[in-house]
Amino acid sequence: MLSLRIAMRFLRTSPVQTGLIVAGIAVGIAVQIFVGSLITSLQANLLDRTIGSASHVTIVAVKDGDPVAFSELVKNTVRSSTLVRTVVPVRAVTAVFTKSTDNVPLSITGGDLTNLDTIYKLTERTQRGRASLGDGEVMVGKDFADKYAVSPGDRITLSLPRREAVNLRVSGVFDLGSSAANTRTAFTGPGFAQRALGLSADKYTAIQVQLTDPFTSKAVVADWQGHLKVQGVRVNDWQVENKDLLSALASQGSSSYMIQVFVLVAVALGIASTLAISAVQKTKQIGILKALGMSDSAAGSIFLWQATIMGVVGVIGGIALGLLLTTGFTLGTAKSGSGFPIVTKPSFITISAGIGLTVALLSSIVPTRKTTRLDPIEVIQNG
Amino acid sequence: MADVLVTAEGLGKTYGVANPTRALDDVSFEIGGAEFVSIIGRSGSGKSTLLNMIGLLDTPTDGTLVLEGNDVSTLDKDGRSRLRNGLLGFVFQFHYLLPEFSVMENLTMPARIAGKPAGKSETTYVEELLELLGLEGLAKKGANDLSGGQKQRVAIGRALMNRPRIVLADEPTGNLDTENTEAVYDLFRKFNQEWGTTFIIVTHDQAIAQRTDRIIEIRDGRLVQDVRTAYGSPVRLLGEDLPQG
Repeated sequence: MLSLRIAMRFLRTSPVQTGLIVAGIAVGIAVQIFVGSLITSLQANLLDRTIGSASHVTIVAVKDGDPVAFSELVKNTVRSSTLVRTVVPVRAVTAVFTKSTDNVPLSITGGDLTNLDTIYKLTERTQRGRASLGDGEVMVGKDFADKYAVSPGDRITLSLPRREAVNLRVSGVFDLGSSAANTRTAFTGPGFAQRALGLSADKYTAIQVQLTDPFTSKAVVADWQGHLKVQGVRVNDWQVENKDLLSALASQGSSSYMIQVFVLVAVALGIASTLAISAVQKTKQIGILKALGMSDSAAGSIFLWQATIMGVVGVIGGIALGLLLTTGFTLGTAKSGSGFPIVTKPSFITISAGIGLTVALLSSIVPTRKTTRLDPIEVIQNG
Repeated sequence: MADVLVTAEGLGKTYGVANPTRALDDVSFEIGGAEFVSIIGRSGSGKSTLLNMIGLLDTPTDGTLVLEGNDVSTLDKDGRSRLRNGLLGFVFQFHYLLPEFSVMENLTMPARIAGKPAGKSETTYVEELLELLGLEGLAKKGANDLSGGQKQRVAIGRALMNRPRIVLADEPTGNLDTENTEAVYDLFRKFNQEWGTTFIIVTHDQAIAQRTDRIIEIRDGRLVQDVRTAYGSPVRLLGEDLPQG
């Protein structure tokens, strides 16, 4: 392949020019991989912190405060969906914790620990004491425990809605990743809330459902609402309740795309201008080659090959640099304890590489056309 | 003429549309195999235009030009490129070597363009060529590491690489001193006599023209004289007032 050999020789004989353009592509691709992965991981992290330990679809009674029956129809409807990851029927009751002059409302969710773990990951998130929701036991959040000096093994007294006071032993302290949740939320076994609310064994305050993909909730809610209308229940969607968060995530995504697009445009302009200069510098050589009988297409493909070679080398360098940046960022923020891991998906790297190569090839259009059209007589006559 | 390689009939060239300039007008001739021809004329007479047309670097606006049986007006761009690569070899006033490549690579470039693989026979041929050109031991040198005379000899070798039947030379000695001019003429003559290659040389140098077998003289775009000479015997040229090369 003569055009390829000539392209490689042209690149080798202009090492500074070649090095600069390859570095330009590499930096562009690295920025794309880093910014893209950073924003995607940040969004995933935010989403996980916000709804990772929350119900995506919640079945409640139409009238606030009424219990909902976990009937066969509800069970069948929920379990027939392939989009469901876990179903947790819960009984939630509000209690008040009093310490000196402070009256602190606590939202107590009662349920089976194994079941609750599938949404709230209590066992995994227990920081002190142990994860246990036996009869007479309660698990409280880290911020609540710190603020009111509560430790595992301590007993706390809570006032229930019917004004009766109950005394529970703190079995463990958890961290749900949110200060508000850690201050206001507590968990007990299934019996406590059932007794406090006076509910029968098949009645709950809500059926909490997590989906394999939270963004399928709209379709799931629409489907279930049709099936469960007769049961006098309402199906709530997390997306409706978290519109602001979704809007913020969408804005963040758009700004990330804008940054990536502008970086790629800058890279494209850099390659195009350097290749155009190279085409002018090599006009004489191209004219000579054509005078010796090289065809227009073969001469034109010299700059196509140059763009391809620089694109491939730049993209490989960019991927390496991008991975180095993401790893460095993850390690750096892990040390400070404030960060989150940046996950770089192979599919995103493949897309970035494809875009980088396409940009490089598109940048060679002008010099390729200029070379194809060059008449050797212009070079021969003008010396 | 048994083996006709170049046939020009009523060849003409006009540049420009608004202010047309007639560079070549009604030129007709035939050139056969193994001929050693010079084309002479003043600057701007049209001799280089004629050579560029034969070399398929320029196109006639009138008349017909047939190269080895191929009417060039019927050829597309790729066809012209192929014919330029296989039938023709070029030597210009300036050597036009590719500075990024070695002597060997410059020499073999026409073969690479033709898609011929580099093999043992090519190596033998190139070695023979280098010896004939007096360039032994320089194959791996960069094109820019040679003297002016050496560069022109590499350019001659490159023109002969594909064993073309015709070599076109446009003022090939214009940039050379007397010694190198003699060397280039001797090389042309050697390849003409030993390989039967046709040489068509555009020159200002009357001494060179007088030593060719046939002189075509162009004046104001028209062919005014086409004479055959006895080798080495002087011919009175109509354009004897030509500036000496």
